[in-house]
Amino acid sequence: MAFLALQLLFRRLLLALPILLCVSALVFGILRLLPADPVAMSLPPGATAEDYEKLKQAFGLDRSLITQYGIWLGKLLSGDLGGSIFFRRPVSELVWVALPATLELVALSLFLGISVGVGGGLAMFALRGGLGEQALDGATTAMMAIPEFLWAILLILLVGVSLQWLPFIGRLGPGIQLPPTITGFLLIDSLLAGRFATFGSAFTHLLLPSIALAIGLAPLVMRVLRSSLLETAQDDYVTQARLRGISENRILVRHALPNAALPTISLIGVQGGFMFGGTVLVEMIFAYPGLGNLMVDAVRNHDLPVIQAVALIYCVLVLGINAVVDVAYLAVNPRLRLAGAR
Amino acid sequence: MTLTARGLTVSATLGGKRIDVLRDLDFAIAPGKVLGLVGESGAGKSMIGRVLARSLPPGFSVTSGRLDFLRPDGESRDLVTVPGPELSRLLGDRIAFIPQEPLTALNPLMTIEAQFGEHLERLGLPASRRRARIVEALAEVRLPAPETLLERFPFQLSGGQCQRVLIAMAFASEPALVVADEPTTALDVSTQATIVQIMRRLQREHVTSLLFITHDLRLAARVCDDILVLYAGEVVERGPARAVSQAPRHPYTRALQAANPPLDGPLTRLVTLPDQMPGLAAFANLQGCRFAPRCPTRDAGCAASSPTLREVAPGHFVRCADACSVAAPAAPAVLRRLEAASSGVPVLVVENVAKRFAGKRDWLGRRSAGVDAVKSASLTVRPGEFVGVVGESGSGKSTLARLIMGLETPTGGRVLVDGQDVTQGGRETRAIRLGALQMVFQDPQSALNPRRPVERLVTQTMEAKGSNASEAQRLERARELLRETGLPPELIDRYPSQLSGGQKQRVNIARALCVTPRLLVADEIVSGLDVSVQAQILNLLLDLRAERGVGLVFISHDLAVVRYLCSRMIVMRHGLVVEEGETEAIFAAPKHAYTRALMAAAPPDDLDRPWPPDAAALAAAEG
Repeated sequence: MAFLALQLLFRRLLLALPILLCVSALVFGILRLLPADPVAMSLPPGATAEDYEKLKQAFGLDRSLITQYGIWLGKLLSGDLGGSIFFRRPVSELVWVALPATLELVALSLFLGISVGVGGGLAMFALRGGLGEQALDGATTAMMAIPEFLWAILLILLVGVSLQWLPFIGRLGPGIQLPPTITGFLLIDSLLAGRFATFGSAFTHLLLPSIALAIGLAPLVMRVLRSSLLETAQDDYVTQARLRGISENRILVRHALPNAALPTISLIGVQGGFMFGGTVLVEMIFAYPGLGNLMVDAVRNHDLPVIQAVALIYCVLVLGINAVVDVAYLAVNPRLRLAGAR
Repeated sequence: MTLTARGLTVSATLGGKRIDVLRDLDFAIAPGKVLGLVGESGAGKSMIGRVLARSLPPGFSVTSGRLDFLRPDGESRDLVTVPGPELSRLLGDRIAFIPQEPLTALNPLMTIEAQFGEHLERLGLPASRRRARIVEALAEVRLPAPETLLERFPFQLSGGQCQRVLIAMAFASEPALVVADEPTTALDVSTQATIVQIMRRLQREHVTSLLFITHDLRLAARVCDDILVLYAGEVVERGPARAVSQAPRHPYTRALQAANPPLDGPLTRLVTLPDQMPGLAAFANLQGCRFAPRCPTRDAGCAASSPTLREVAPGHFVRCADACSVAAPAAPAVLRRLEAASSGVPVLVVENVAKRFAGKRDWLGRRSAGVDAVKSASLTVRPGEFVGVVGESGSGKSTLARLIMGLETPTGGRVLVDGQDVTQGGRETRAIRLGALQMVFQDPQSALNPRRPVERLVTQTMEAKGSNASEAQRLERARELLRETGLPPELIDRYPSQLSGGQKQRVNIARALCVTPRLLVADEIVSGLDVSVQAQILNLLLDLRAERGVGLVFISHDLAVVRYLCSRMIVMRHGLVVEEGETEAIFAAPKHAYTRALMAAAPPDDLDRPWPPDAAALAAAEG
């Protein structure tokens, strides 16, 4: 199984390469069409036309578009994402700080979204036909009707400002020192350094933005899982298990849930991809220093190398989450992995 | 007595009225005996299983009577009122079930070992001994190399293998009672024989009582000690299997028997009952004898009062006012086969067609080996001729139909319609095909667009390009088609959901007749129907030939039906035609071993001829 999973992952990555190439060309091309002049923006006031030409040459912007793309791609393959025009630092440095932050945020959001979604789906199924189901149904509608950025603002107002239960700005509380960077993941690094106060602060800072993002996923998971469960509950093997005297709880967990999980896993694959898009707004609202905020800053400042790099990283992340979901699907569904399936 | 039903009545409330879905049911099964519950769909035969399992549909409930089960401690418990937890302890342990659809009755995500192991865990067997017990149980149902099945998933097994696994599970606890609800209906004939054999052997060895629910009177006569025939929720006849099947006394049982085409002896036109069994909603309006409206021998008294079950011979009960006096119906006319017209251009010639399906890519992008659905098949149909194509699942018979209709392009061989080569498809050949051939699909439920009324459905081909039929012409044609297919005219504006199964199949056939084709290609069109409705459809096809000279390629797994309809037949196996010729000649002296095995697997009408055949013959057929 593990070997099969690795094989599948490898194959997915191979297939991802042409997609990445297309996306890189697209991003590169579109950004060059924008009426933005990074050279002019980088010059101090009072610079001469000569200074302009010099800088343009230094940036390589005087060459043809295809040559520029070739150079960028070549450097990209050797791990060089170029230098940020605005921050005056290598893009890779910026990304290495922002990427772990976003990954932590998305991981926790996925965890919350899936746990609440699966738990809620099971609860809706268990309470079917009763008031409990109607209440949960109403809750999912409310969750879906309000967009996540509005949820972010509501959460800040309610939990952050009024109740003051959770912090809502940045990644760490004031006065708390960053642990030595080992992995870049604050939660992991703080634990590695044994700084539990830092861990606590980082974790509480993650909670509100994660909840805001998870609200986009949980109700969908709940509804899809509930309807799949209702379908599988009618399936023959469930009836037969009941006729063998197997307990209802066991039927739900061992028979109905694994079969009902298949559409839910597909859904998580799609929604997981959307979640990365959601991080842009949510990170901005919570001033959370992740990829989304980096992207917003870069766009605001016409920082082309950063925009290109972050767009490409988003693409890799979405492809990555799809590959992981594919492997999960394969693990749950033997029909896909076994030869001789009819 | 293992199980005793006394006055068991199941009622439903429909439209504010109480309807007895099952009325006043009495029976008893002794240890080691088999009771057959025979009835057509809607007769209420599956209600017993549902009462036992407490899985009655919403709104249905047991309103009176008891269902007593004798526990091993000698105490008798009424399963209708026994508390849920106690019932759960009995289910799967003392009372086991064998389902109708073996492929869907096993969880597709769990290995055989995991499912069987779960059952043994529930029976309290320690984990260390489960594996050995599973292998032993699988060997008992004659599954070859049982160890190799443990890691398999249900979808890697055939329907017959899955059913054996389920039978092994059912008997694992040595239950006192096994309820088998149509356990062989979804299986091929040869597999059916094997399954029946295994079930009976285990049932005898373990002295288990078996409640065998089926629509097939012929099969029930073979399997059961006693038979109980249900009609519209009532027992109409009950008695020893041989008496009920060979010398039925109730007009309905007689009709059931007469509707079944025989496998040997002279062929006579099947006697059919008018209409069909009333639906649930109509139960409330039935006055007196529930069968009276369809009874060929009814008199004024029948509608006045409900007859009671009377004992007409020791242990043989009949619910009919004059069961003894009613004479057996007069022998109907001997069926005359249409002599195969030797002259004339054949409507259809199929020459060595082959179809190879390319393998699918799996998740690693590897292409699996392709499948030769049809390796080589030839077939000639002359005008007005009925040709049968017989084969079991996987024989390629449905692919052959699709090749004939041009729904698939052959990978070898030729297809000629009226002497013109239509093998490669394309627009012109399509016109030739559609002018001469029409297909009737297997499942009318999915073949009829649920959002169209009957009139639109049957005249669908008049919407084709080039046909500029007016609305009035369409309506007129629809009326004609309903008349020809024996459908009442008031159905013309109904939707498929308002029709019965038999009516839907008639609409399905009427649609194919709209452009007056010379050849119908029918793929298993009666396999989903009850015997009495099947007989109506078979007679309809014969009438269409007599009146319109329509030819027929009739694809079926049912030898008796093919014998009844077709003057010639081919037998297919693994994509090859293994035998072909005149139907009578093949039935009299089958040449190919597979044909012989197939015939041996079908239960013969003569109860004195042994059946099921020995295991070797079955293995040859199942191969």
